[in-house]
Amino acid sequence: MTRTDRRTFLKVLGSGMLAATATSMPVFRALAQAPPTGDEFFILIHAAGGWDVTLSLDPRNERKGIVDPASTDNTDTSNLRRWVDVPLDADTQSFALVRPAGSNLVFGPAIGDMGDMADRMTLFNGLAMNTVSHPDGTAFAVSGRHLAGGHPAASSVDAMLANEYGTSQLFPVVSVQYPSSFVGSGLDPRAVPLRVGSIDNIAKSLLRSAQYDTKADRDAVTVMLAEEARELAARSYFPETMNGMALQLGSLRRLLDDSLSSLFSASALAAAQPTLGPKDASGKPRKYQGAAATNAAFAVEAMKRNIVRCVSFTFGGFDTHNGNYKFQAETQQEAFDVLASLVRALDASPHPTKTGARLSDHTHILVVSDFCRTPQINLAGGRDHYPNGSAIVVSPRFKTNMVYGKTDADQLLPDDAGAFTDGVRPVSPPDLLATFVSAFGTDPRKYLRDGEVVKEVLVG
Amino acid sequence: MKKVRGHGYVRASLLAVALFGAALSSACGKDKPAAPAETPIAPVPVSQIPGHEQIGEDTALKESPRLVPQEAYMRTYLQLFGGLAPADVQKRIKLGSATLFDTWNDYLSALGLPDYRLDLPRAAQTSSLMLATFERLGVALCDKAVERDLRAGAGAAANRPVFAFDLPSVEPDLAAFTTRFDSLHRTFLGYPAALAGTSRTARFYTLYTNAVAAHAAPGAAKSAFTASEAGWASVCYGLVRHPEFHLY
Repeated sequence: MTRTDRRTFLKVLGSGMLAATATSMPVFRALAQAPPTGDEFFILIHAAGGWDVTLSLDPRNERKGIVDPASTDNTDTSNLRRWVDVPLDADTQSFALVRPAGSNLVFGPAIGDMGDMADRMTLFNGLAMNTVSHPDGTAFAVSGRHLAGGHPAASSVDAMLANEYGTSQLFPVVSVQYPSSFVGSGLDPRAVPLRVGSIDNIAKSLLRSAQYDTKADRDAVTVMLAEEARELAARSYFPETMNGMALQLGSLRRLLDDSLSSLFSASALAAAQPTLGPKDASGKPRKYQGAAATNAAFAVEAMKRNIVRCVSFTFGGFDTHNGNYKFQAETQQEAFDVLASLVRALDASPHPTKTGARLSDHTHILVVSDFCRTPQINLAGGRDHYPNGSAIVVSPRFKTNMVYGKTDADQLLPDDAGAFTDGVRPVSPPDLLATFVSAFGTDPRKYLRDGEVVKEVLVG
Repeated sequence: MKKVRGHGYVRASLLAVALFGAALSSACGKDKPAAPAETPIAPVPVSQIPGHEQIGEDTALKESPRLVPQEAYMRTYLQLFGGLAPADVQKRIKLGSATLFDTWNDYLSALGLPDYRLDLPRAAQTSSLMLATFERLGVALCDKAVERDLRAGAGAAANRPVFAFDLPSVEPDLAAFTTRFDSLHRTFLGYPAALAGTSRTARFYTLYTNAVAAHAAPGAAKSAFTASEAGWASVCYGLVRHPEFHLY
């Protein structure tokens, strides 16, 4: 019989603890995992400012409770293709609901071209936002957590997906004015969102002059700096930052290796994706979503080249508290037109790694907003912030032509959506995000403190 | 009765102590020897003093290195360009080399500066794009510094902001390189190269010699630099893009 003495016991205990400590360090964990080889792509969109869902995703065209519907009194209908007058008052018209043929979904007139894509959409209505603050609603919508002391308390969904599936990509996530956050020490440093103000900004940083030095000169420096960073990390009590920099230096060589400058030029992107340029398909200049269209074109082109895993960007112009509310519907229509053009462009693009597959077969789009706008019109003729929300998912992993969640008829507030483990309640952003990330096999609890997977919206 | 006797003992004791002290003082005064000549103590390195073989200094960082606020290294770039205003730096870089630099504004977002018009927060972590921008700026800075500091008419070496030395007449060996590299290391990273924990000097020397060899090789790409200038430019790139330049 073998007897373990005290010394041996302590040795085993010590080495076990050392190994456990080492492997629990984030970078060790990141490096120990096999590099993800996902073929899926993600486009995350934030409708900044809080959109009025009564015009599109959760339409209201009658006075009921506190609801003042959009009408010819408060909305400029001249450019709304789907607006059909329906009498509201003696001298005021509201709109006819848009009911796509063969669909269960009902839209408002601002739905634009997305009205023809009910069979591609999953709607979430009646999202309990529990806030009417832009920064808080934005953070809650994209990370599932309210702000803590003004700071994001969790990573945004684009950083989650980049960390999970994108670390082997040249650009795990390109974030153009999307409210991306990278929180926590458990994430791979390569998944830090590349946050830029516009796609054009990237091109300038990638240009190089050949007047003095050569690419080989610069590469030699990059390789040496990566060695320095790794050596400094090895000596450091906190090696994560230096190891992260070494990994990023490795990515830098790839970034500058490829000739990517055309990918970061708005004019080149417009040439490559004519329906996603500064003009719409009919040749009419986009008034509100021109930058978003360029970002969408970038997403398609970058995914075709397989250099990005996530692209996140914003639709702007929805914060309409006063007279500018007249154009909320047109702003939404343009946003939904861009979204429809994006889906069509993905349909028309081959998948970079799956022979015979379309890019849209493996691209997943999530559109959220800070919250929605009040059901009543204020004294300035606009609508203020309201703690309810809607979201759109366009993904082959989701059941389409369906809506999950609802609002009450009188107040447009989130109504019970279904039974969760904590009882019957409305759906909330953490549920939506948990469902979204779980659709690709990720354990939502790895990133989200709250939220439950809504299985009834998932395929299979 | 007891009380009186007690006072008498105290008085007698004090008197005895006083007499003994006076006698001692008198004796010392008479027989005081001459002070011996002081022997100078030869200076020795601190490591030779017993118990000081190793300096008990904990140089480990007490928290993870953080990204220096972008304004700090922007200011450093300007200082290294000779203390010029941003617009003047821009003008100077673009003079004779249109593709070396765009405008400062083109890089602010990629460098991680906040943009309050777009509600973009300050970047707290490095990214590949940020490193690409560091390279773009660092290369421009170093190329212009080589042109300004290492060519004829650059003035006294000590007054040059970056290369505070003259080029040796022959390619430097490791010892000659080390002196010059140390000067650059102090400029960019703020401490002597010998104190760097890594094999930094040897690593940079290899970088230097490889760059010189590549530029001197027959059929090498056309460059505005001589081989030696290209070597020193590479060393400069390495220091201005060094992790310790951006993190602390």
